[in-house]
Amino acid sequence: MTAAITTFHPPLAQPGYRLFDGPLRDVTDAHADQIGVVGMPSDWTHSSRLGTRFGPEALRKATTLLQSMRPQGASFDPDTSRRTASATDWLIDCGDAEITAQDVDATTEAIAAMTEGLTIAGAIPLALGGDHYNSYPACLGYSRGLAKRAPNVRFGYIQIDGHLDFSDRLGAWGSHNHATNARRISELPNIDVSNMVWVGIAGWVDGGDLALIEEQGGRVFSAGDVHKLGAAEVMRQALAHAMQGCDELYLSIDIDAMDAGYLPGTGSIVHSGITPRQYYDLLDGLAEAPLGGLDIVEVSPPLDPSERTEFLAAEMLFRVLRRFRTRSVAVA
Amino acid sequence: MPLRSAPLPRMAGQLSFMRAQTKAICDVRPGDLAVLGIPFEDTSAPYAGQSLAPRALRETSVYFGWHANPQFSHPVDIDARQDISTDGLHERLCDLGDISLGSEDTCHAALKSATSQISCNGACGIILGGSDPLSETVSGALPECQTVQLGGTPSDTRDFHIAPLPNGGGTTCSLDTTAQLAAFSEWRDASIPLFVRFDLSVFETSLSALCDRPRLGGLDLDTVMQWLSTLGQHEVSAIMLTGLNPNRPGMGVVKVGQRLMVTALLAFIYARLGFGIDHPGRLTSKENVLT
Repeated sequence: MTAAITTFHPPLAQPGYRLFDGPLRDVTDAHADQIGVVGMPSDWTHSSRLGTRFGPEALRKATTLLQSMRPQGASFDPDTSRRTASATDWLIDCGDAEITAQDVDATTEAIAAMTEGLTIAGAIPLALGGDHYNSYPACLGYSRGLAKRAPNVRFGYIQIDGHLDFSDRLGAWGSHNHATNARRISELPNIDVSNMVWVGIAGWVDGGDLALIEEQGGRVFSAGDVHKLGAAEVMRQALAHAMQGCDELYLSIDIDAMDAGYLPGTGSIVHSGITPRQYYDLLDGLAEAPLGGLDIVEVSPPLDPSERTEFLAAEMLFRVLRRFRTRSVAVA
Repeated sequence: MPLRSAPLPRMAGQLSFMRAQTKAICDVRPGDLAVLGIPFEDTSAPYAGQSLAPRALRETSVYFGWHANPQFSHPVDIDARQDISTDGLHERLCDLGDISLGSEDTCHAALKSATSQISCNGACGIILGGSDPLSETVSGALPECQTVQLGGTPSDTRDFHIAPLPNGGGTTCSLDTTAQLAAFSEWRDASIPLFVRFDLSVFETSLSALCDRPRLGGLDLDTVMQWLSTLGQHEVSAIMLTGLNPNRPGMGVVKVGQRLMVTALLAFIYARLGFGIDHPGRLTSKENVLT
């Protein structure tokens, strides 16, 4: 009977879920061209509907349950005609950053320290939110790490989102919250607003914020643009704009760009009309992009009793990480 | 003057529709948009909960109350790139609160009386239901109006029906908006005002999980906004929102339906107030377009 225990999955040595069932490792174990996962279970910087603090755990669970990554063996990816690779080959999960609910600065530094360490090692930090504010500390650490690893390199930025998040302040939440993360990122030393692109913006936005972005050369593609031009073309233009004069790309995936009819489990829902298929097409357009870092945010499991939100989000990661997860042997 | 209060958290303080001023019904003026809640449901719905819709709609509307947010400059329709001034909104949008609940007869009588008074004052009522049969009461209070019905079950062949629910072998939804707009123009008598019945069932069910009467082949948000924007450019005595059940079993935290309705309603409000919006994706006013 004891021998049967060894057939359990995951191994008892690593209880709990890790993203894509990858190995649990320390930041210092990271190496080049490897995805380094950082959880950011914080929704203390969201202004209304909470629950994204449970996002990292839900994403880890959902990605683990994706059948193509199960331990029964590699499976066939029909989109690339390649076999999937075990996450052990390309990903480490570094656990969660230390969140201090009452101290946004402490939380910011804790997250940034992890993504900085991963970036210095040459790995690609993948941060799991959390509300969208946490995108800023994740990118802050990436920016710091990049400045140390490659001092003259600048990075472009694409944010797939239903909202601009470019406000300077938001009511009682001040300057550091889920409506200001892109503004704070724009103030980092190795990025220009002219290399920042937003995709999927829906509805009404703050006219002052929009004008400020476009006056500085940033580019905004609305949800309507995705419908009119097509997701692939929008992302082709977005990537070209973001990468002008840049060597690396930071990608921020806010799941709320998808229409709330499909994806209700997020803090700030919009009715963009963007379907799962369109969202995946957007991410397919980035599968070969020179990713330096990325995050996925606003997954709020308590707001979606059907649990489909986290599986849609897991599929998003599955898409954008295709280069890694299928980089092994091609099917004969 | 636009309300420029301290930047309270959006969910704090007295709840009014889009953070509008509150008024007594006797103070409603000609040209006002007067919001009235009727948190009442009859037993026709399969699940209880439609009486909670007025509060749910008000809660969601707060997200669009940017005229009351001193840190928000002005809204821009991102698809049309249309710059919208909302400075006049606070003067003309007001919230009258909810009708006090009593017996069923009392509720209907109070709703009928309030609707008549708003109409007599020359204002447009924005009535937050509540279950769909209440619309019949409002219709009865506005006998001089032509009725346009978005979604719901057709009840009067003289009314104009947009994407009605299938009615037992009768007409199913027509998605030819251009043809329907032409038919509407032909049907419309501009000498008398409109009563608009806006039921959540007008939407394709995949867009909203909170509708008690699911339907396939409903309209998308853009089309509904186009209709409401068109209707808002006519004289309207009242628009009534029905069909939202924020308490669908197990779905109380999913606020998709109310968001869908309020987003669409904003097109009506802007058109009614003459803010120049047509509908997303269409430019109507070159001088307002951001470059």
